[in-house]
Amino acid sequence: MLRFEATQMILRHAGDRPIVANLGPTTDELWHAGHRDRNFYTYGNMGLCSSLALGMALSTPEKVVSLDGDGSLLMNLGAIASIGREQPKNLVVIVWDNQQWGQTGHQPSHTACGTDLEQVARSCSISHTATVRDLETLEQVFCQALEEDGPWFIVAKIEEAGYMPVSPIEPEMTLYRFRNSFLKK
Amino acid sequence: MNWAETIVESLKKWNTSLIAYVPDISIHQVTSLIDNDPYFHLVSATREEEAIGIAAGAYAVGRNAAVFMQSSGFGNSINAIASMCIPYRMPIPMFINLRGGPGEFNIAQVPMGRSTRPILDLLGLVHFTLDDDYKMDKIVDGAMKLCYANRQPVAICLTQLLHGGKLA
Repeated sequence: MLRFEATQMILRHAGDRPIVANLGPTTDELWHAGHRDRNFYTYGNMGLCSSLALGMALSTPEKVVSLDGDGSLLMNLGAIASIGREQPKNLVVIVWDNQQWGQTGHQPSHTACGTDLEQVARSCSISHTATVRDLETLEQVFCQALEEDGPWFIVAKIEEAGYMPVSPIEPEMTLYRFRNSFLKK
Repeated sequence: MNWAETIVESLKKWNTSLIAYVPDISIHQVTSLIDNDPYFHLVSATREEEAIGIAAGAYAVGRNAAVFMQSSGFGNSINAIASMCIPYRMPIPMFINLRGGPGEFNIAQVPMGRSTRPILDLLGLVHFTLDDDYKMDKIVDGAMKLCYANRQPVAICLTQLLHGGKLA
């Protein structure tokens, strides 16, 4: 499964729901798949994607989608414990798991060496979990996660397949656009 | 009103209702007031950079949020502040129990406690230090106003002289 085609699928089903993207290729591919006000692009704050999404889920009734990565989440495993403790029904975490730190020279990450993030989530009291390896299964689980209460934690195993051009993200504008879309409601 | 009640009142005045924190005995007096007040949602983080991320997420959807931590935890949170709050312009009030001053008993708390304010200066962030509750209501309230006007984090450092600290 390629992250970009999976991101396109997520956008097709997400409607107007907020999506937070991990830094680097995940943010770039979300921008290329379809820029919208409800995309929160992170840029440099490695490890904080799902913590941001948790803070959002606790502060809006809308369903929040976090597109995290294995390397980033490994930097902040405590985020999974805090999600398990808070049990936000409106949070869907998807971990793009390429089992490596792709941007820094493709070094194998801990998920290539025995760490099972789905089991980490389950042991942190997150009961709606899945590990998926193809686009069709991801689509099916994601659509279920949009309809049913969470928190959801979905590990999506992806192939590493090169990078798209860096997206023209301006952090201050990202926050302004994203936040305004909630204030206007 | 004691120092802890003064902080709670100011948080409410500025509609700051999500509080992310890592527990600390010296400021337990204020976080326990927050925990027992249904106005607030007190979120326990496992680490201070996570608390910054949670507060930032709340702000991103339109809810004001603050963090409580110790100066050692400020050390854990520096890159979250530097790479997220500052470039995105996120006004997060940070209440920091400042260790390493008069009365400190723990050698390991001195370096980070003493370097917290110089690091805030290097980051270009405004900070205020409260050693007692003289004019505290005006200082906390003014710090909150400045934080939201400037859309950058502001640190309010609470010392052992204010809250009594942790006994050795």
